[in-house]
Amino acid sequence: MRALQTAATGMMAQELNVQVIANNIANMRTTGYKRQRAEFQDMLYEHVRRIGTQTSDQGNILPVGVDLGSGVKTVGTPRIMTQGTLSQTGGDLDVAIRGEGFFKIQLPDGTFAYTRDGSFQMDAQGRIVTVQGNVVQPGITIPQNSTSLTINSEGQVSVIVAGSSTPTVLGQLNLTRFINKAGLLPIGDNMFTETPASGAPQDGLPNSNGAGDLQQGNLEQANVEAVTEISDLIAAQRAYEMNSKVISATDQMLQTTSGLYR
Amino acid sequence: MENALLVGLSRQMVLGRQLDVVANNIANLNTTGFKSDNSMFEQFLMPVARENRFKTPDRQMGFVNDRGTWHDFRGGSVQPTGNPLDVAIDGKAFLVVQTPAGERYTRNGAMQINAQGQLVTADGSQVMGESGPIVLQPTDRDVAISADGMVTVTESGNTKTESQRGKLRLVSFDAPQQLQKDGANNFLAPAGVTAVPDPKSRLIQGATEKSNVNGVVEMTRLIEITRAYSQVGLLLQQQSDLHKNAIQQLAEVPS
Repeated sequence: MRALQTAATGMMAQELNVQVIANNIANMRTTGYKRQRAEFQDMLYEHVRRIGTQTSDQGNILPVGVDLGSGVKTVGTPRIMTQGTLSQTGGDLDVAIRGEGFFKIQLPDGTFAYTRDGSFQMDAQGRIVTVQGNVVQPGITIPQNSTSLTINSEGQVSVIVAGSSTPTVLGQLNLTRFINKAGLLPIGDNMFTETPASGAPQDGLPNSNGAGDLQQGNLEQANVEAVTEISDLIAAQRAYEMNSKVISATDQMLQTTSGLYR
Repeated sequence: MENALLVGLSRQMVLGRQLDVVANNIANLNTTGFKSDNSMFEQFLMPVARENRFKTPDRQMGFVNDRGTWHDFRGGSVQPTGNPLDVAIDGKAFLVVQTPAGERYTRNGAMQINAQGQLVTADGSQVMGESGPIVLQPTDRDVAISADGMVTVTESGNTKTESQRGKLRLVSFDAPQQLQKDGANNFLAPAGVTAVPDPKSRLIQGATEKSNVNGVVEMTRLIEITRAYSQVGLLLQQQSDLHKNAIQQLAEVPS
């Protein structure tokens, strides 16, 4: 009986669904995290009696056919790239993006990654880096004897150097946009890399081309909503359970069949 | 005399297929825009050629046959997702999807953007607008989809100008039962079934239509199927016992 395999695909799909939900819940407090959602599609159908076949010479046709489906498949786990809420931290180097852009980060191997996590730090050379120590592009070095670091909404970084009363502009933070943000490849550590699906990165200034503006002293929270995730979890668990019932029902029927022979 | 066996067999085969349908429904309990299937049975009289003028006329027997599965097109519940590229369809309409195999129709409104900026389904097929695929520009933001399917975006920069990127094509069918399921949440329109524009259905942005499979109904069906199956099994067993006894008693030679 096909029902056994069909229910097995259902159980596997729900298992994956729970896995995705678990990851969302685990990252509820991860800065700049974007939640994922498992997308399912039905699988191929066997047309036992095809709709529209002729049933008589007078041209009567079957209005409905017998279509037997073979279960469900996971087609993707797209990321929902909606804006997370900003929470105030007061940190000088905490920057949240209000818009569509990403910060560009240089990885140790020289390639670039992109992140929404703006909880930056300063390294021993005074450069602005991520928590992992990767340099935020374009590299901006903060002089040692400076105070009052400000990052304005357009991304201009300025400080007041000791002995001076006017701020000195150190550089400009850029934001990168992708036409399909959901197509970026997550590589962990809150970072993403470019893929053929995401389109080419378009570097630009904050507050232009829809890249969004920067908010100093804020961090972007994950866009995971606890209520949604928990209700999805309940639905997934129940669906898993029901699929397992189909398996035991099929088993029972097979038992009946084998019991016929004595 | 063996007819009871065959009648029982016809019932069991049909129940097996009905179980397949129920299993597929339950497997797709969480599939966006999925429409459940139902089995339909008919009595099938045998023999077709008969002669009633004999003293003992040919008796007709009823077998059971599954005549078809029909799609339940009732709307699934609408679940808010907050994602601007999700639309749920309120009404009978379908979205039009261009797959490599041709035009297909779907109720799954969870759309994505591909690298060319086109609106696509999760498996990368273009979602069609009234004049071709809908293409968003790299600098567009704040995508809004109106109830009639118009896709509007805010243009780049600080100008805050709105511009239209096309209107999603919504179609419906006079005989939706004739639509064939084609997998991947898509329906295929066989020859003779034409899609007509549907101005009455409305789109709800930021929500998806859940599967319309009703877990409770499917579970009761499952119980019904297993019970009926074992009842027929019992019937077949009794029939076979009858045979056995008959053979034993008739073949007994008095010594």
